[in-house]
Amino acid sequence: MNKFLLKIQNLIVKGNEKEILKGINFQMERGEVRAILGPNASGKSTLAHAILGNPKYKIIKGKIFFEGEKITNFPPEKRVDLGITLVWQSPPAIKGVKLSQLLGKISRKKIKIKEGKELLEREINLDFSGGEKKVSELIQVLSLKPKLVILDEIDSGLDIKKVEMVAETIKKELVDKKVSVLIITHWGQILGYLKPDFVNVMINGEIICQEKDYKKVLKTIKKYGYEKCRECPFLAG
Amino acid sequence: MVTKNVENVHFWQVNHKIKNILEVRGITVLSSPKAWQELKWTRKFFEKEPKEGYFVWVRKQIDFPLTTCISIASPKIFQNLTNLLVIEKGIKTRANVLCNATQNQLCGTHKAKGKLILKENSYLEYNHFHKWGKKDLVSPDYEFILKENSHLIYNYKSLFSPKTLNLKTTIYNNKESSSNLNFIISALNSKIELKDTVFLKGKNSRGIIKLRLVGKENSQIRAKTAIFARAPGRGHLDCQGLLIDKGSKISLIPELFCEHKEAQITHEASIGKIDEEALGYLRMRGLTEKEAIDLMVTGFLKT
Repeated sequence: MNKFLLKIQNLIVKGNEKEILKGINFQMERGEVRAILGPNASGKSTLAHAILGNPKYKIIKGKIFFEGEKITNFPPEKRVDLGITLVWQSPPAIKGVKLSQLLGKISRKKIKIKEGKELLEREINLDFSGGEKKVSELIQVLSLKPKLVILDEIDSGLDIKKVEMVAETIKKELVDKKVSVLIITHWGQILGYLKPDFVNVMINGEIICQEKDYKKVLKTIKKYGYEKCRECPFLAG
Repeated sequence: MVTKNVENVHFWQVNHKIKNILEVRGITVLSSPKAWQELKWTRKFFEKEPKEGYFVWVRKQIDFPLTTCISIASPKIFQNLTNLLVIEKGIKTRANVLCNATQNQLCGTHKAKGKLILKENSYLEYNHFHKWGKKDLVSPDYEFILKENSHLIYNYKSLFSPKTLNLKTTIYNNKESSSNLNFIISALNSKIELKDTVFLKGKNSRGIIKLRLVGKENSQIRAKTAIFARAPGRGHLDCQGLLIDKGSKISLIPELFCEHKEAQITHEASIGKIDEEALGYLRMRGLTEKEAIDLMVTGFLKT
């Protein structure tokens, strides 16, 4: 069995003709919880979408491997089949399609829904609040029986109580069940609940560091800001 | 669907042959030529002697839906139907009407002229389903006459489109009557011409036309909808088209004619393409591109 669940080599990605990812090298092991921190527009979401194969983004160079298999040119649906999933930061509304209808088509396993039952008979993401969107996203992703879940800004736009609730679900349904989780966040609030094994910092389309102690990274960013990350004495090396 | 149990269909015709007429208490069902011969009063509605088609007269309140089924089952059949449906005063009913081809390549022609009379205080939910083969030519021309305080809900659905469809619908709304038209058409390599017209003739009459049109694989859809307000009534046109591929065309022509200063008529029309972001989203939930488009089209037709 391949040691790495996800491995990315020298990935260069364009979106709207602009180079966004500038040679990403990155890897994750099975059951690992990892976070990528970075300021807005640093390329975090692009990386998430590139891993999922969103046709909006064009891979110029580099390779993506999942469980040892090269998936760089796989269509999104094939990547989902392999177990890669993404919780969108701002999911689009699908007019006229109820959440229950979509779940009926995509579910790979039955899930017990505690939160969000009332969303099932509503049109997907249409007039959902920020919190409802996150719950809907989690329900969908959990039903896909994932091996890797990428959470794109799961904590943005949520109040403290909602962050706690969402984090609790992620912990119980994913982390405790050894599903790998990649948390993408720019303010890191949820890290206190999910306690990642590793943290990376991404700036301007590049991953500039890796650290085990997420508290140290958050403290550094709070103190110096992302702009100073490159020169940070704690993170360097 | 209507054809699942043809024994319960009130009028069932295949090609030119009437397979079954089910007459139950409260309704009269005849072939149109027979109605012309036996019920002289129907002649003013038929206008000229019909060759084929059905006459249904709902005289008393019934607690089941009316059902009719007219099929083309052999190659190159030319149907020329004249249908008449009369709902008596105060009757509330529902009709499920299916017109179809039993196979895809029959090259049939289905021409239908229909008149539906809703008498005072009556209500009709008219569910009209079309399911045609790729080479059929279809041209229904239906006229609804809504007497005082009568109400019509007309749901038309065509998800298996013929080679050409010329669908003409005219509604005459008298005093206090209302009509609500919901047309769902998915065109696949088809040429479709729609002409829907509502005349608001009486005080406080109301008319709504809602179109949801999908153009796929070199389809051409032209939909002309109009409301004529000749009395202080209210009307609204809501026309939306969705283009799935580059080869298809949709043109929407909504028209409002206000001939009374207290009438209020409005319209909205739009034509769009598949939302790429939503398509990507659904694919990232594990649906193939085709499955995702089909789901989005289904959703669009429901809005």
